[in-house]
Amino acid sequence: MSEITRRMLLQSAGAAGVGAVLAGCASDEDLNPTPAGTGAPQETFTEPTRKLSGELKILLWSHFVPSHDTWFDRFAQDWAAKTGVKVTVDHIDQAQIPTRIAAEISAGQGHDLVQFIACLSHLEEGVLDLKDVTEEASKRWGTQLELCRKSSLNPKTGKFYAYSPGWVPDPGNFRKTLWTQAGLPNGPSTWEELLKGGTEIMKSKNIQMGLGMSQEIDSNMVLRALMWSFGASIQDASEKVSLNSPETIAAVEYMTTLFKQTMTNEVFSWNAASNNQGLVAGKLSYAVNSISAYRTAQTQSPEVADDIHFVPALSGPRGALAAQHVMYNWIVPKHAKNPDASKEFLLHYTANYAAATYASKLYDFCAWDKLTPQLNTWLATDPFGSKPADKLKLLGDATKWSTNIGHPGPANPAEGEVFSTFIIPNMFARAARGEVSARQAVLDAENQINPIFAKWRAKGLVGG
Amino acid sequence: MKAKIADRDGALAWIFLMPSVVYILALVAVPFILAVGLAVSDVTAGDPSFNFVGGKNFEAAFSDPVFWRSLGNTFLFTSVSMVLIVILGKVVANILIADFKGKWFVRFLVLLPWTTPVTLGAISWLWLLDSIYSPIDWVLRQLGFLAPQGNGSNMYWLGEPGLAMLSVIAVHVWRLTPLAAVIMMAGLVAIPKDMDEAARIDGAGWWRRMFEVTIPMTLPVIAVAALFGAIFTFTDMAVVDVLTNGGPNNATQVLTSWAFFRGIDGGDIGQGAAVALFLFPLLMAAAIAILRAVRKLEVH
Repeated sequence: MSEITRRMLLQSAGAAGVGAVLAGCASDEDLNPTPAGTGAPQETFTEPTRKLSGELKILLWSHFVPSHDTWFDRFAQDWAAKTGVKVTVDHIDQAQIPTRIAAEISAGQGHDLVQFIACLSHLEEGVLDLKDVTEEASKRWGTQLELCRKSSLNPKTGKFYAYSPGWVPDPGNFRKTLWTQAGLPNGPSTWEELLKGGTEIMKSKNIQMGLGMSQEIDSNMVLRALMWSFGASIQDASEKVSLNSPETIAAVEYMTTLFKQTMTNEVFSWNAASNNQGLVAGKLSYAVNSISAYRTAQTQSPEVADDIHFVPALSGPRGALAAQHVMYNWIVPKHAKNPDASKEFLLHYTANYAAATYASKLYDFCAWDKLTPQLNTWLATDPFGSKPADKLKLLGDATKWSTNIGHPGPANPAEGEVFSTFIIPNMFARAARGEVSARQAVLDAENQINPIFAKWRAKGLVGG
Repeated sequence: MKAKIADRDGALAWIFLMPSVVYILALVAVPFILAVGLAVSDVTAGDPSFNFVGGKNFEAAFSDPVFWRSLGNTFLFTSVSMVLIVILGKVVANILIADFKGKWFVRFLVLLPWTTPVTLGAISWLWLLDSIYSPIDWVLRQLGFLAPQGNGSNMYWLGEPGLAMLSVIAVHVWRLTPLAAVIMMAGLVAIPKDMDEAARIDGAGWWRRMFEVTIPMTLPVIAVAALFGAIFTFTDMAVVDVLTNGGPNNATQVLTSWAFFRGIDGGDIGQGAAVALFLFPLLMAAAIAILRAVRKLEVH
């Protein structure tokens, strides 16, 4: 087993080196590029509403589940053959995409259509309004999922800076054997149970909890989930900074206790791949992540995969919420030479989202429930070999316990900058390490956040 | 008879100089002017249109505690790395000029860290310093310096602020020592042998010859090696980016990485440029020092 995990470590380290930063779960890469099941949904084609021609250049990430990319490339070329548009698809590491988009917008040339796995609200002034695409999609398939809408619409300006047809949930991943011995065979359901069970596992097995407080994406996600469950948030619904509250202080104090009783300093050193590696290696009792680490384990360490189970967002004093793990944002830069083709392709892609969900081994979820009617059946009897087959069933109601970055407000550029400068993980880490009190950590974080909001507000992109 | 262009020294000089001039203008002067322009603008990743905002970006940077921490870290990393690079570079250079079997192979091995792409080298170190699987920790456990399991069985190199700093410095030293060694080696082989022999005949021992003959004779070369090391450390963000992403809690954040997080990931190009521009005064001082050292070398 150690040989396998070392190999995984090298793979993930390689991916981390290519980009790191907002670096996603690079170790999530699945070695098996072909979906195991045979029940892929039938794809549909609707004639575009306008005559298309020319070239369409698409830039998107290299998916954590490679079978998705194989499917997407073929799917895009099929559409190209039917519409007469010449389609070019470029996949690059997700960590490279923000730099690439910034360079292309600055140069005024590049791809016509770009996809990223997080909110691109800070690019609003450089992209086309995709209100027409979103409205057309909603006309065809009903109401868009709110967390996707709040991650693509700026309520202050009324502009859809992105089109968001899909997202990825972020459940809790736990090792069933460990939690059974701690008296919680179905895993924790509340933050209190997490502390109790995690402490017991740490004491009896010396296996720690896997919630990061490091300068990386997963720490950003899980700590926001903790804050929301305690009733805290960075901003309120009207985009005013609301960080400095008794609820935030309580969340920081809880995390300090959780760290002292269940974790080691390892969690301050993590990159985005670390919690996956630790979970699969049996070194962590619980982590918050998408199912891609589990899919990797299914291929590389089946016995570990069988022991990994999932729970929804943990309940806190004020509710149970988790951040989305991935938020798909498609943008059409102002320099795009073929915006019509871009928009038509997006509608065609959305219409076939069930195929995308299947090709990604149930990683990608659609923003329109109507388009993936098979999803609950797939989750209840996983076509990709889960044992037991209904292990992923809880994801069927993931929309109820998932929300967007920026909750209860929208995912605006100020929230994006707070995210990318890791103010929240550092706020928790400083208190957990005992450098400052929880109150001081929150106050210092607020002092960093206020100027960021003020700056973007002055630009007219943030309300409040 | 009309003079050919090859006979006109002035024109010929310009023709020969032109590739360097174009290179410097295109890849140094233009980006620098652009950086100055961006630093006093409100340009964002989504809006490249230029609006003058004066010193606002600098004010914002100065009021940010992370900027000052990054500045302090940059100086700390650079100065400590520079001292270590010079000392180790001198040691390695002394070894490399000695006569022994397999000298060329050893020279090849010593040069490898410098010739390896920095990102690739940093990724290898990321594995060596991993919180769970660190081979360094494994060795320390085998030697009894760490507990066999449980608490105290890992160092968490990248999770402790002090150890994370040490790790970043160690990687900089590892990759830049070969360059310093090669530069110093060139200086060492240029020392006339008769000077060393004269000192030897006068009864000077190894240490005395080292401090009174070798080091004074190679000082300009040592200065060049030190300054190259300083500049490469000062302007690098790859090592920090790969190893720590600036963490834990910005303990290893440097100006280059902070400029990137603010400017590209955060979308505020203006402020990113203002942070990055802060590298300029020190780099200029370093460049002047290098040129002076080189001139001194020429005089010698």
